[in-house]
Amino acid sequence: MDIIPQLVVNSIIAGAIYSMVALGFNLIYGTTKFFNLAHGTVAAIGGYTVFYLSKSLDFPVLPSVIVGVLFAGCIGYLVDKSVFRALRKKKASGMVFLVASLGVMTALQALVAILFSSQFQTLSVGSAKVYQVFGGVITQVQAIILLCVLLIMAGLTLLLRFTRFGKAVRATSDEEEVAKIVGINTNKIIGRVFFLGSAIAGLSGILVGFDTGIEPAMGLSLLLKGVIASIIGGIGNVYGGVLGAFLLGFIENFGIWKISGEWKDAIAFGVLLIFLLFRPQGLIKK
Amino acid sequence: MINSKKIIWGVVVLIALVAIAFFSMKKSPEAPDTATKNEDTGPIKVGVILPLTGDGAVYGEPARNIYQMAVVEINAADGVGGRMLELVVEDSKCTGETAVSAAQKLINVDKVKVIIGGFCSSESLAATPVAANAKVVLFSPGSSSPDLTGASPFFFRNYPSDASQGTVLARIAYNDKKYKTVAFIQEQTDYAAGVYKAFNEEFTKLGGTVTNESFPTKNTDFRAIVTKIKDAKPDAVFIDTQTPAVGTRIMQQSEQLQYKPALIVNDVISGDPDTVTQNAEFLEGALTAEFGIDPQNQKFQHLITAYKEKYGQEPPYQSYAQTEYDAVFMVRDALLANGEDGEKIAKWSRTVKDWEGASGKITILPSGDRDGGHSPRVIKSGKVAPYTK
Repeated sequence: MDIIPQLVVNSIIAGAIYSMVALGFNLIYGTTKFFNLAHGTVAAIGGYTVFYLSKSLDFPVLPSVIVGVLFAGCIGYLVDKSVFRALRKKKASGMVFLVASLGVMTALQALVAILFSSQFQTLSVGSAKVYQVFGGVITQVQAIILLCVLLIMAGLTLLLRFTRFGKAVRATSDEEEVAKIVGINTNKIIGRVFFLGSAIAGLSGILVGFDTGIEPAMGLSLLLKGVIASIIGGIGNVYGGVLGAFLLGFIENFGIWKISGEWKDAIAFGVLLIFLLFRPQGLIKK
Repeated sequence: MINSKKIIWGVVVLIALVAIAFFSMKKSPEAPDTATKNEDTGPIKVGVILPLTGDGAVYGEPARNIYQMAVVEINAADGVGGRMLELVVEDSKCTGETAVSAAQKLINVDKVKVIIGGFCSSESLAATPVAANAKVVLFSPGSSSPDLTGASPFFFRNYPSDASQGTVLARIAYNDKKYKTVAFIQEQTDYAAGVYKAFNEEFTKLGGTVTNESFPTKNTDFRAIVTKIKDAKPDAVFIDTQTPAVGTRIMQQSEQLQYKPALIVNDVISGDPDTVTQNAEFLEGALTAEFGIDPQNQKFQHLITAYKEKYGQEPPYQSYAQTEYDAVFMVRDALLANGEDGEKIAKWSRTVKDWEGASGKITILPSGDRDGGHSPRVIKSGKVAPYTK
C-alpha cells in the first residue's frame, strides 16, 4: 500500500476538525479581541447534549444535533451576557477576560463531569460507513465534517460581507468605541457573535463526538489546536483560520511519518512558536 | 518573657509525654507484652498490612479472612516447628502514608521480622524503604506495579508484576505465532510502559524487532500512527493502553482505516468484558494474558471450600485470594528455614523455586518478582478463553 494518499486524507480530516474550532474561535476573537478559553468547553457541551438526547432519551440523531448546536450557542450567549458583558462594562483588561474565561471553562467542565462522569463516551452508532478516495480511506462522519467546514466558511463569508449584521460585526471588531458612537448596539452584536461562534463550536464538538468520542476535558486540547491554526493562518480572519488548520493538519501528519508519534504535539507547538517569532500576523493578514 | 516561654515549652513537652503514655497504654491490649518474643516457645509474630477502611477495604477484608484461615491451618499442624504463628494486623487504607506508619508500628512496637503486605502498590512502594532500613522483610501478595521490581532486597511478591504479561506474550508471539516484528501503540503511563519494556526486552532477546509508537494520554487522533503502522506491515500490533476506553478508540480508528492486523492486547483491555464484547469482531483471535486462577489446582480448591465453610461464601477476587493464601504458607516455610531473621529470609526468598501453592508454581526472581504468573489467553467471539497452541 502506498502510504501517501492515506496521510493526505488523514491530514485533511485533522485540518477539517481544527478548522471547525478555529472558525468559531476566530469569529469571537475577531470581534471581542480576547482569548476565550471556554470556547473548547462549549464544544464539549454540544457533544454531551447530543449524547444525552440520543443515548438517554432515544431522540433521532438529526434533531438531537440541531438541539445540541442551538444549546451550545445559547450557552455561549449566556456566558457572554452574564460574565463578559459585565467585564466589558468595567473596562476590564485582557488579562481579566482571560482569567474569567478560564474560570468559565473550569466550572462548565466540572459541571459536565458531574452530570455525565469523566468517562470517555462515543456518539457513533454501529460501525462507520467508509469511502475510498484516491487510495485513502475516509469515513462518512469525516466526509460530513469536511462538508460542514466548507459550508460554514462560505456561510460566514457571505454573512460578514453582505448583511447589515456582518457590517456591524466588522465595525465592532475594527473599533468598538467608534461603532458605539455611530449607533451600533455593540453588546447586542457581540452577544449574537457569541451565539454564532458557540454554535459552530457545539457543532464541532458533536462531529468530533461522532468521529472519535467525547469527554469533559476534550475542550482544551481541541481549542489549543484551533488556536494554533488561527495564529498560523492569521488570527481574526475567516479564511486564515481554515488555511492554518489544514496547514497544521498536514504538518502534524507528515511530521510523524518518519519519527515517532509522540512528537505530534511538539511539532504542532513548535510550528506555533516559529510563526509567533517570525510571522506573528499569520499567513493572511486581517 | 524568657521564663514564660520556658513554661510554655515545659507544658508542651508534658502534654506530649502524657499523650505518648496514653496512646501506648491504649495500644497495649492489642499488642500484648513484647518481652516474651525472644522465648523460643512463644508465638512468632508476623505483621500484616492491608487496607481495612476506604476504597481498598473490599480487597482487605477477604484478605484478612484468608490470612487468619491459613494461620489456623498452620497452627493446627504444629505451627512453625512447634511455635504458633500470630498475626498482627494493621490497617493501611491503600495509601502510602498510612502504610508507612503501620510498618513503623509493626517493626518498632511489635518487633516483627516479616510483614505480609502491602496490598495496594502505593502501600508497598512507601513501606519498602522503611522495612529495608530495619532489615525486615516485606512480602506482598497483591501489589502489581512494575516500579516494585527490584525495589529492595527486602521486598518480594508472589503476585506478578503487571509487566510479566509482557514477557509471557513475547514468548508466545515469537515462539508459537512466529511473529518477527511487532508494533506497539503505547500510552505514556507507568503501567503501559512497564508492559512495553518487558515485552521489548524478551522479544528482542529472542531475535524479534519491536517498534513503539507512544502517545500522551489526552491524544484522541490515532490515524497518523495507525496509517504509519499499516504501511510498515508488522506481523502483529500490540495495543497497550492504560484504560479500555483509549484502547477502544484505537481499535475503532484502525477499523475505519480498514486495518485489521494480528493483535496482542494487554490485560486492561481483555480484563474489561464490555470492551471485549463491543469490539468482538476486531479482537477476534487477539492474544492476551491474564493472571487468572486454576480451578483444577487442589490447593486452590481447598482454599475455596474452606473459605466457604468458614465465611459462608466463596472468596471474592480469587486471583488475589490464592496469592494471599500462599503467602502465609511461604512465610511459615521461610521461618522454618531461617528462624526470625529478616536478612536470612530476604536472601532465602530469592531461592524460592517452583514452590507449589494455590496459585500454581511460584518462583521468585532475583528482582523479588514472581516469575511468569500471567497465563496466555486468546479472545474468541467476544470472550476471553485459555490459549492453546
